Amino acid sequence: MGQGLKGIRREGEDEGSEMGQAIATTTNVLILSSMYILVALGFAFLFNMLGLVNFAHGAVYTIGGYIGYQFAVRMGLNPWTSLLLATLIVAAFGAFLEKFCFRPFVGDFNRIVMVSVAITTVLQTVVNIWEAGEVLTLPPFVGGVFRLGRFSVSYQRMLTFAIGAGLLGVASWFVSRTKWGQQMQAIAQNMEAAFLQGINVRRISMIAFALGCGLAAIAGCLMGSYLQLSPFMGDTMLTKVLILVILAGVGSIGGIFLTGLLLGALDAVLPLLMRGAFSDAIGVVIVVALLLYKPKGFFGHEA
Amino acid sequence: MKDTTGSEPTHAATKPSGTERAKLGAIAAIIVALCLLPILTSSTYTLHIFILTFIYVITTVSLRTITTSGQFPLAHGAFMGVGAYAAGMASRWLGWSCWLTIPSAALFTAALGILIGYPFSRLRTLYYAMGSLFFGLGIIQIIYALGDWTGGYSGFTGVHPIFIGSKVPYYYFSLGLAVVCAAALYRFEFSRIGTNLKAINQSHEVASSVGINEAWYRVMVLGVGCFFAGLSGAVYAHYNLVISGASFNLGATLGLFMGVLVGGIGSFAGPIIGTFILTLLPEFFRDLKIYSPLVSAAILLIAVYLFPQGLVGLPEVMRSWYAGRKKREKTVAAS
Repeated sequence: MGQGLKGIRREGEDEGSEMGQAIATTTNVLILSSMYILVALGFAFLFNMLGLVNFAHGAVYTIGGYIGYQFAVRMGLNPWTSLLLATLIVAAFGAFLEKFCFRPFVGDFNRIVMVSVAITTVLQTVVNIWEAGEVLTLPPFVGGVFRLGRFSVSYQRMLTFAIGAGLLGVASWFVSRTKWGQQMQAIAQNMEAAFLQGINVRRISMIAFALGCGLAAIAGCLMGSYLQLSPFMGDTMLTKVLILVILAGVGSIGGIFLTGLLLGALDAVLPLLMRGAFSDAIGVVIVVALLLYKPKGFFGHEA
Repeated sequence: MKDTTGSEPTHAATKPSGTERAKLGAIAAIIVALCLLPILTSSTYTLHIFILTFIYVITTVSLRTITTSGQFPLAHGAFMGVGAYAAGMASRWLGWSCWLTIPSAALFTAALGILIGYPFSRLRTLYYAMGSLFFGLGIIQIIYALGDWTGGYSGFTGVHPIFIGSKVPYYYFSLGLAVVCAAALYRFEFSRIGTNLKAINQSHEVASSVGINEAWYRVMVLGVGCFFAGLSGAVYAHYNLVISGASFNLGATLGLFMGVLVGGIGSFAGPIIGTFILTLLPEFFRDLKIYSPLVSAAILLIAVYLFPQGLVGLPEVMRSWYAGRKKREKTVAAS
């Protein structure tokens, strides 16, 4: 948990004035929130539709970043191309996971947990074999710094946020407006009724899996160039995603956006007020208290 | 792999009859075999692995005891950590003897379990699992945050050992403790309380309609499970002498759960078998170095695809496979 926060604090201290710090904090909140929401959306698709707790989602996010690194640094491709390739590969991998690893066990919490722990182990081992567990950084997508008077924000960070926000817009449009997205919502409301209406539950859940894994891979690449890549970045992200989805409540996509902003704000602001370890502890304590106060999450409508 | 089968027959009953007596005999034989191991081998590394396995057996068996009530606490690793840090801190800062720190750490953990059990008994199934998961994260973060007393991220050192020098006394101590704890939890599960817990698991509404105080039982079993988790954590601290939050985080909790599930969550022997397999089998593949985690992943996948009830279901799977083959032969012969 400490890693990402240390990076943020460093950037916050670079800005001299109070106003500069405020701007840095705001951008951090926005970037972190958008990344959390991106990864959480993929997790929430499956959690809402199939009641599936995919503990491997963090590892998928990590492997997305590392595949992007393989393309961008080892093979020297354009960062944009490597982002696209990594996304496509991980999305295909997600479809594979759905068909062979998760579909046989939907509804069986214990075996889903076993499969996802096994997948996490395999993916982390692959990352260790590739890069021997070193901490790496993806090259920036764009250089340069945007200046307005005394204040400055690097284009890289603005771009990270822009991509994140854009994808979130596309994802929410997809869920609410397109046929596949509406079918996903129908399955989330009542799987059997949706099946009786002629919705192909298998195909939709495969699409949701591929989409979720693709979004996680994009977030992995973006975070890899915004902060850094490490084999265990997925663990941090997984806890954030679990917190976010559970706090938002089952069946609520809109809730994820608001809760994501809240979580990003907690993560970016608390380290400014107190020591790193304390801020992590207080963040989790707040979450547990909120969950006990609202056992079904903020926006959840079913048990 | 004689030792992994070791833990299989735990279906001891108060009135041994026929097969029960055979099972009791098998348990006794395996315990005797485990007792003889330090005489047969002089490798301290082998003893080390077995000592850790015995300690983890206590934790996984107690974890399964909690799950018989239908609760899935994803904080059990953190509870073990609470026991370890409580014992370690009492040993280092207060200078207590380890015969005092171990029971008091276990009681402290049980008290913590009971304390959080009440608010958590409002949460059900998935939300209980997730709530306890966050609670476990919180415990680890608090351990890190109290760095002045707990050593923070770099770990806690300076715990006094129970036995100085050889590992053999540790071996017998942890073996004996594991046997006593497993026997105690076995009695607990098949007592009236355990039956009530299973009733709550099947339907909490029916259970409370026949007068079972659901909240009280759920809190109580969490306290009992935490007692044993704290106990194993305290022994771990006094054995390993260095403890860090990383040994008790979400990954560790999931690892404990894997032990329970690989062996079979529906059977008392399950967590014992699963823990032995998941700790001993990867040791045979230590030469693979960086690839060795794949061995445990393979064990998980084999268990998940082939043994729906865990490895305790092995005889049943074999039997149905054999019956199926016989049937096929018959139909071939008939046609």
